[in-house]
Amino acid sequence: MFHAFDNAGPNHTLQRPDWMALLARAPLALLEQGLDKQSATEPRWLRRPETGLYMVQARAGGTGERFNLGEMTVTRCALRMGDDGSGLVGVAYVMGRDHRQAQMAAMADALLQDPAQRDALDAKLLQPVREHLALLQMQRAARAEATKVDFFTVAREAGGADEEDDA
Amino acid sequence: MKAEDLQQVRPAFHDPALGSQAVFRAALNALSHPGRLHDMPQVTDLPRHGHGAAAALLLAMVDSNCAVWLSPALANTDTAAWLRFHTGCPWAASANLARFLWVAKGDALPTLNTLAMGSDEYPDQSATVVIEVDALSDCAEQGAHAFNLRGPGIADMQSLWVLGLPQDFAEQWEANHRAFPRGVDVFLATTTQIAGLPRSTRIGATQEA
Repeated sequence: MFHAFDNAGPNHTLQRPDWMALLARAPLALLEQGLDKQSATEPRWLRRPETGLYMVQARAGGTGERFNLGEMTVTRCALRMGDDGSGLVGVAYVMGRDHRQAQMAAMADALLQDPAQRDALDAKLLQPVREHLALLQMQRAARAEATKVDFFTVAREAGGADEEDDA
Repeated sequence: MKAEDLQQVRPAFHDPALGSQAVFRAALNALSHPGRLHDMPQVTDLPRHGHGAAAALLLAMVDSNCAVWLSPALANTDTAAWLRFHTGCPWAASANLARFLWVAKGDALPTLNTLAMGSDEYPDQSATVVIEVDALSDCAEQGAHAFNLRGPGIADMQSLWVLGLPQDFAEQWEANHRAFPRGVDVFLATTTQIAGLPRSTRIGATQEA
């Protein structure tokens, strides 16, 4: 889903939390397409992809007592790009069990930290992801819109049966 | 963990399951045969600071429930980041609160009987101390502490020469042994070898070799 913070705005420089939030929600097809031939390189693993559970907590009404909403499946990994052991370290946490998706997201994170590649990747990889997420949100909003019910109070007709009872 | 620390982190076990099992087996053998030298299997990438055998041992033993204390030479190095990244261990605020201690070569060893010794009901809730030493040997070595070890796991007597322990280690160990079943367990680690000193072991007559 697209969020307000995904909309970078004209004067906002892209920060690591921004692109990590996008990569965490990016589908595998878009990641592979955006990384292009770099998706075929074999990274050096710091932590191979592993799937586990996270307890998601929420607050009643957004401000009330904290409670456990439920567990979600998360796959995480950490890797280093390049063969010489001095490359940039990329990290990814993605929802679900797809190891390949976590790997692609971590590789994208590592490459995006390189200022020389950032702008190109922003256009090729992140922008399609933003559009995809915005589309998802629009579709969902449209679906919700179709079932919207406007409640309004029907004005009682004057001289109805009820008033006669009260009298 | 900060991004700069993460950038320095090196990989750990080449194969997490088999690697940690191999190291665990070495640690088990070391405590089963106190004072005998055991080669640490070469199954992991190592951080820059600290002895390799000590690093592998802690990587296999520590998890997110074990508070770890690092001596000053190791705290805030890439070794600390490495151990924390791969095991998720919390840091102990002081040595006496730690379940595992890693004492680097050249750093002062905290007095053994000030560490977590467990209780008579729960002697397992005690600390394990990994001490880096310059050399371990089973034959006489110049300037080394000569230990004659006796106790469970030793048929008659086990001789061990250790280079790089504090002068009063044998006295500290005597006090540690007297508190049995409470007490700490010690691993001595060089870059490639370990030797175990469980609390049941007695150190006999000590003289400079």
